[in-house]
Amino acid sequence: MKFLLTFLFVFTLFLSNGGREFQKSFPTETYNEVLDRAPEYYLLEWKSGTRLLKKKADLFIEVDSFNAQEVAAMINENEDPVLYASDIATPVCADGECKLMHIRLYWTLLGEYAGFDTYPELPLTKHDHDEFQKADYEKLHKLLTDDKSVLKRRKLDQLVEKPIMRNVNGVDALSGATVAEVKESVVSGALYSCYVAWHLAHGNIRDKIKAYTLSILNTDMLMGMLYSKNTSYQLFALKEMDPSQFIEHHSQLVHIFKTAVPLVRSIMAKELPDKYQNSPDLQKPFWEAFSEIDIGSRSLLLRHLESAPPFVTDIVSTRLGALTKNQITVFLEFLSPKKHTPELLKNLRSFADSESEAYSYLVKNYLEEQEQ
Amino acid sequence: MHPFRFRKLLLLSFVLHFCMVYGQEILIEAESFDDPGGWVIDPQFEQQMGSPYLLAHGMGQPVQNAKTKITLDTAGGYHIWVRTKNWVPGKWKAPGRFQLKVGGTFIGKTLGLRSGWGWEYVDSVLVTSREIDLELVDLTGFNGRVDAIYFSTVKKEPPASLKKLAEWRKSIKAEPNEPPRTESYDLVVVGGGIAGCAASIAAAEQGLRVALIHDRPFLGGNASEEIRVHTLGIYGNFERILKKLDTEHYPNGSVDAKLDQKKRDDNVKSYENIALFLNHRAYEAKAEGDTIQYVDARHTSTGERIRFVAPRFVDSTGDGWIGYWAGAEFSYGRESVDTYGEDWAEHGELWSPKEPDNAVMGSSVLWGSKKTDREHVFPEVPWAMPVAKRYAKVAGEWQWEFSRPDLHQIHDAEEIRDHMLRAIYGAFYNAKQDTANANRKLEWVSYLVGKRESRRLVGDHIFTFKDAKEGRKFPDGVVIETRDVDIHYQTVLEDEENPDFISEALFYKTPEYYIPYRSLYSRNIANLFMAGRNFSCSHAGLGGPRVMRTTGQMGAAVGLAAALCKKYNVGPREIYTGYLNEYLALIEEQKFEKIPETKR
Repeated sequence: MKFLLTFLFVFTLFLSNGGREFQKSFPTETYNEVLDRAPEYYLLEWKSGTRLLKKKADLFIEVDSFNAQEVAAMINENEDPVLYASDIATPVCADGECKLMHIRLYWTLLGEYAGFDTYPELPLTKHDHDEFQKADYEKLHKLLTDDKSVLKRRKLDQLVEKPIMRNVNGVDALSGATVAEVKESVVSGALYSCYVAWHLAHGNIRDKIKAYTLSILNTDMLMGMLYSKNTSYQLFALKEMDPSQFIEHHSQLVHIFKTAVPLVRSIMAKELPDKYQNSPDLQKPFWEAFSEIDIGSRSLLLRHLESAPPFVTDIVSTRLGALTKNQITVFLEFLSPKKHTPELLKNLRSFADSESEAYSYLVKNYLEEQEQ
Repeated sequence: MHPFRFRKLLLLSFVLHFCMVYGQEILIEAESFDDPGGWVIDPQFEQQMGSPYLLAHGMGQPVQNAKTKITLDTAGGYHIWVRTKNWVPGKWKAPGRFQLKVGGTFIGKTLGLRSGWGWEYVDSVLVTSREIDLELVDLTGFNGRVDAIYFSTVKKEPPASLKKLAEWRKSIKAEPNEPPRTESYDLVVVGGGIAGCAASIAAAEQGLRVALIHDRPFLGGNASEEIRVHTLGIYGNFERILKKLDTEHYPNGSVDAKLDQKKRDDNVKSYENIALFLNHRAYEAKAEGDTIQYVDARHTSTGERIRFVAPRFVDSTGDGWIGYWAGAEFSYGRESVDTYGEDWAEHGELWSPKEPDNAVMGSSVLWGSKKTDREHVFPEVPWAMPVAKRYAKVAGEWQWEFSRPDLHQIHDAEEIRDHMLRAIYGAFYNAKQDTANANRKLEWVSYLVGKRESRRLVGDHIFTFKDAKEGRKFPDGVVIETRDVDIHYQTVLEDEENPDFISEALFYKTPEYYIPYRSLYSRNIANLFMAGRNFSCSHAGLGGPRVMRTTGQMGAAVGLAAALCKKYNVGPREIYTGYLNEYLALIEEQKFEKIPETKR
């Protein structure tokens, strides 16, 4: 609370005196009207030759209690937005002193943090006036990349006070661990700048940008997301695509299944039979990736054994070494004598006889029971 | 050739009190050893692998021998088996190796090598005396485990499958179904976590005779000094009771948990009408129709069994065992986002899935190390590295959590615990490669699984995230909370390079919210209350009130309801339908200590 009062007092002084001077020195209108290189700190892929132009999108970000700054769409040659950007100048105050922080923030089409640029003449500084070094900018980028940062739920004054060790009724005090986590995630000596930047990047602008994108979404934009490596884009595309697009872009979906993070893959594993219900051939590449994918997605895929095409039994039985104990059990429970093709039995026996497989005994027991 | 290799064994003469003799065979339960030495009794997985067992939890230092004396029916030649398992089968030496000494002599080979729980043949011996010493000799300090030792004159391995093994155990012990001792109470509370303790205190204060059954030597469950999670949440209507049980806000895993342990144990024991059955684990609840008749429990080391009869029961086991055995409806895993309208668009599938699944919040095993004034060597742990990979840490907090879709938090709890032990030992080994940690040694590693989520018994109301988000008011909203709804997921979901044993929390800021009394009794078992994480809720609904002051509120609320049930001889549901005003008045009344008649 003491900090907040100090902040307000100093900030009022700042507005009445030196604020205009700072604003004047910041060339927001002329900088980067054209973006033809990746932002210096950037999360998405940047295809060479990309040239984005700034276009008004009627979006504004509140940089402090008194000011809002424009957020522009950065559009490609089809005039579709690829990014959103805002040239931000916002006061950062600490220990009774305020300075302007200049940063150009970028957001994805879904309103998530995408990266930032700095201004060579206006570097970020720490409380002791030292300029940010490259490692500091990288740490800031890492912090901004974390949309669930420990800074999210905390007020600034909570982060600078010593932890309260007793958790009193209704107050969720900070634990020592949280304080350590804050220290680890912010740039040393620049807690205030980090805090302000994080809350700008992840504030309510996110929902506004997403709503704007949805209002102009077209197939090119959606396919751009499908062919991106960005997890949120992949998830969004999977949710929005119609059944024919699942067939048309089958190869890319197989590629995603093999390379995406487990969260994306697990959703695909759940929905696979629905999407390719009458197309066993289209299902096959997914099942063939069976041993390469994460354990969780594999378990979700195994839930479809009963409705899977016949070739799946042989595929799984040749990859038993990749299965966990419970997955082997699930597979054996699914098998029944009528499903015992010679090929399957050969695979099972080979696994059961292996001395290097920790769970070969499960298959051995199963075969013994079947023979009784 | 004689089938036995002969060894001369010492003649001893002590009384057998724990071995079950059947003809020429004898089964010795490891947990019943006279002196477990440095081995600890682990009863957590009895329902999955068949019995409490001895665990050599030495954090890398071989523990002292467990010792006992047994009396055989006759001297002569015996075959010996131990029931054990290699807890990390793979291309390395088994981490939990041990040997058996009979009459002071090492017998047979190194043990603890087989995959999966089962019998490992030790050797054959000639016993020249009926009374002999047995010793378990730990070779590694890395969690070797022994369930039982079996001597037989016939070389026939005991059954492997759990069902057959249980029958065989009963027959060899000549154990009838009914426990030899029966006790009757007004209320039987199973599970001595914060919820179970609060239920017991609240009921006892209203004059009920309460049995509190708990499978550990210390009360508190996840808050106990054996697991060391601090209590969170608010006191709601039950500050006076909960202050007897809760913890300071120390870091999770802190040794300070011992201070609150003493407070809690002393407070519960101060109630004369709470009969406390520590080290007793319930193993059956029998319902006739929709009414539970009794709960059977067994002492975790002596094996002594007691039948608990009561008109009403509280399931505070966390895993919902009593409800499960009695046939109560329950749920497990995540409902689809549409089931109860639990969407949070910002986090989508991580928060609530489009399709239901088995994903649940995981279990933690807390641990810590300390700096000392001399160098400590920590051995290589190749069997831990596939889990720990390059992750290096010197302590664990709540983020050390494990859940995976192929693992069930109850059925696979042992594998989950063991996975966390591999993570801990591997991460500590990695940290020790840094010379800055040369003087550091492991101080404490829990061997108990601190669970967040398991079975959720279904009540007349299923508490959901929507109830919390909207701050929905209920006429019977007896539990109050302000804590964010907080759901965890494994960070490996977002990046396969992340360790699979580290979680992240998603916090949804809510207004004050309320849990109705109707979420605290079973929908289809007429005399069953529940308090704790197994109360009636959805997966996302559990996110907020799963912390221990909130579960403590549930316990206290249930304890008071049980008192009214007794007064009117009705079931839990009737308190809501017929006596709600009196119940709410009782909750108000109990907030302050009653002034004794003599001091008025």
